[in-house]
Amino acid sequence: MLLVASTARADDEKPEVIKMRFVERGDLLHATTKIGKLFDRAAYEALDSGFTSTVVIRMWIYPRDSTEPVAFNLLQRQVLYNLWDEVYELRFDDPSGRKVFKEKRKAEALTRLTNLDNIPVARLADLPYQSVYLLAMEVELNPVSKETLAQVRRWLSQGTGGGLDRGGAFFGSFVSVFVNPKIPEADRALRIRSQPFYRARP
Amino acid sequence: MRVTLVVVLALLATGVRHRAAFAQPATTEQTSSEPIPDDAGFGPVITIEAIEVFGNTTTQTELIRRTLPIAPGDVIQASDKRLRDARFRILALGFFRDVTLGMRKGTARGQVIVDVRVVERGTVVLNRLWFGTSNVSPYWVGADLGQRNLLGLGVAVGAGFIYAPHGDVDGGRDQWAGEVRASDPSLFGTRWGANAAFTLVHGSEPYRVTGDPQDVEARDLRAFSYRRFGARAALTYDLTALSRLSGGLRAESIVASLPVAPTQELLDGRTTAIDLHLEPGESRVVTAGFTFDRDTRPDPILPHQGGHVTISAELGSSLLGGSYEFATLFGRYEHYWPLFRGRHTIGLKMAGGVVIGDAPRFERIHIADVNRMLTPRALGLVLSAAAPLDILGTRPDKPTYGDIGGSANLEYAFELFRGTGKNRVYGGDLFFGAGLWGLSERADLRARDTSLGDALPIDVYIDAGVRIDTDVGVFEVTIANALGRLR
Repeated sequence: MLLVASTARADDEKPEVIKMRFVERGDLLHATTKIGKLFDRAAYEALDSGFTSTVVIRMWIYPRDSTEPVAFNLLQRQVLYNLWDEVYELRFDDPSGRKVFKEKRKAEALTRLTNLDNIPVARLADLPYQSVYLLAMEVELNPVSKETLAQVRRWLSQGTGGGLDRGGAFFGSFVSVFVNPKIPEADRALRIRSQPFYRARP
Repeated sequence: MRVTLVVVLALLATGVRHRAAFAQPATTEQTSSEPIPDDAGFGPVITIEAIEVFGNTTTQTELIRRTLPIAPGDVIQASDKRLRDARFRILALGFFRDVTLGMRKGTARGQVIVDVRVVERGTVVLNRLWFGTSNVSPYWVGADLGQRNLLGLGVAVGAGFIYAPHGDVDGGRDQWAGEVRASDPSLFGTRWGANAAFTLVHGSEPYRVTGDPQDVEARDLRAFSYRRFGARAALTYDLTALSRLSGGLRAESIVASLPVAPTQELLDGRTTAIDLHLEPGESRVVTAGFTFDRDTRPDPILPHQGGHVTISAELGSSLLGGSYEFATLFGRYEHYWPLFRGRHTIGLKMAGGVVIGDAPRFERIHIADVNRMLTPRALGLVLSAAAPLDILGTRPDKPTYGDIGGSANLEYAFELFRGTGKNRVYGGDLFFGAGLWGLSERADLRARDTSLGDALPIDVYIDAGVRIDTDVGVFEVTIANALGRLR
């Protein structure tokens, strides 16, 4: 059992530390980074499947010595290949609004999708000078809603239909599943953390 | 437009669950679950010209096609939710290891052909294993196997068999039981489903005739033989994706060789009659019933959020052709509250039932139904006569069967680990549970010579253990499970 546990623990993904660029512009802090690692070959090939690929990006900024965030941002980016116009249609949603783009080539669509350029991540007023912060990011490709997960898992976990020991089956507190193709919560996921950063006093 | 978008994103933000392995934000306002905003207006309008399926060697193509939420001729936007759901609908069949979908140009502008590529998986499954030892039987062994996709039709069939040789109890005999069943959860791709089963039980039921109820000596027990042969059939209807209503009929023939006027000698020397709750010789049970079930747990194996409610009622009557007039009502409620960003959870589990009227013995609530520290019944067979642990010092002679009973417990579980499944292991939880269980004959509560508190057959349930969720099944190692196999 411990062997299984340790094997699976190693399977759990650890956050990757990535160097990000931070710039103060107006009264906002902007960050720049890339999330190209989210796409493996299969995910890249699926970009021209005609189906929508969705990237959900969640960002938190919190003091290095705390888990209490001072800012949170949610971004959603979608791409879809228009088979007949032979063009990639992209749609980006963030708190500032919605933007749409078109790209002719798959590689360019991927670049636009995965480059996070000058994304506003926090109000400068929330980041006192000299305090050290981290930016944590969780990125998911095609996340699955909890309701869909519940539906799929419910179907798969339907038991044997009970026998004559209906009482026992009814009161039983644990479902037994021996066909168990678990649906992941997203096709792929990245957990990223920035290098520590701080605002230098002018 | 912008206002709508901001509202949608705000909702998303409150629905975002942060599961990162690094230091995480602690405010719940900025964390938790998911949804994706409406895709209206994104992508071209397309017409589904055809749907082609590849990779299926066992599963019939028509079964896959009718599972899809789209059909040839549909005119939809390329980002339509139905297209996103299509993959999960097929995965939910449980017949495939992987499913990928793609589109290619059709014969005219705007028309597309949807390609569905599946990778099949084995669908022969082991549903249950039974093994253990007790005072009633030196050992028991059995298994329940199923085929979830018979001939590629999507029909599930299964069979179980258990064998338990007799121990030293007077009147006991070797026991065995078998069951065969079939079910189709979605008849012709509709919300209607059906299931049926036949069960044969060649049993031997122990009952106490003397001695201390806490002792488990074979000399204090007697057993009577019986045979049960039953059939049941039910129709199900999916009210929603998470709620189901089912209604069914059950018919059963019982042949019991009962002792004449069985009695029990109590510890104080008195002798009292025992009601075995069965008609001598041949009798019949015919019932009609319904069940409502709603399960919102995203993960029923290692649940950390959501809930599960089940209500079931059944009526047995001579009007239906049975020998017994009775009704049963059972209810079950579970709810899980996530803690520490979902890594821990507190679960409340309650289950209870009442049996009204002249219910046969097997329809009553067995003590192992409510006390998971005892050997549970398997295919209807009682495999142990062990008394429950007397933790609270309440009424010592707790009944084996009752007409009112239930349990309520709190469980605290936390993640030992979570995996991506690459090593065929999805996760493991450590859990601790404690609660109360109770079982009684209502007549015993009405006619008593002690206070209600002393008469109540209530005691404590304690359990702790590990649950591991793997590709091949769920493994549970718990204190209660061990006690149930060895006493």
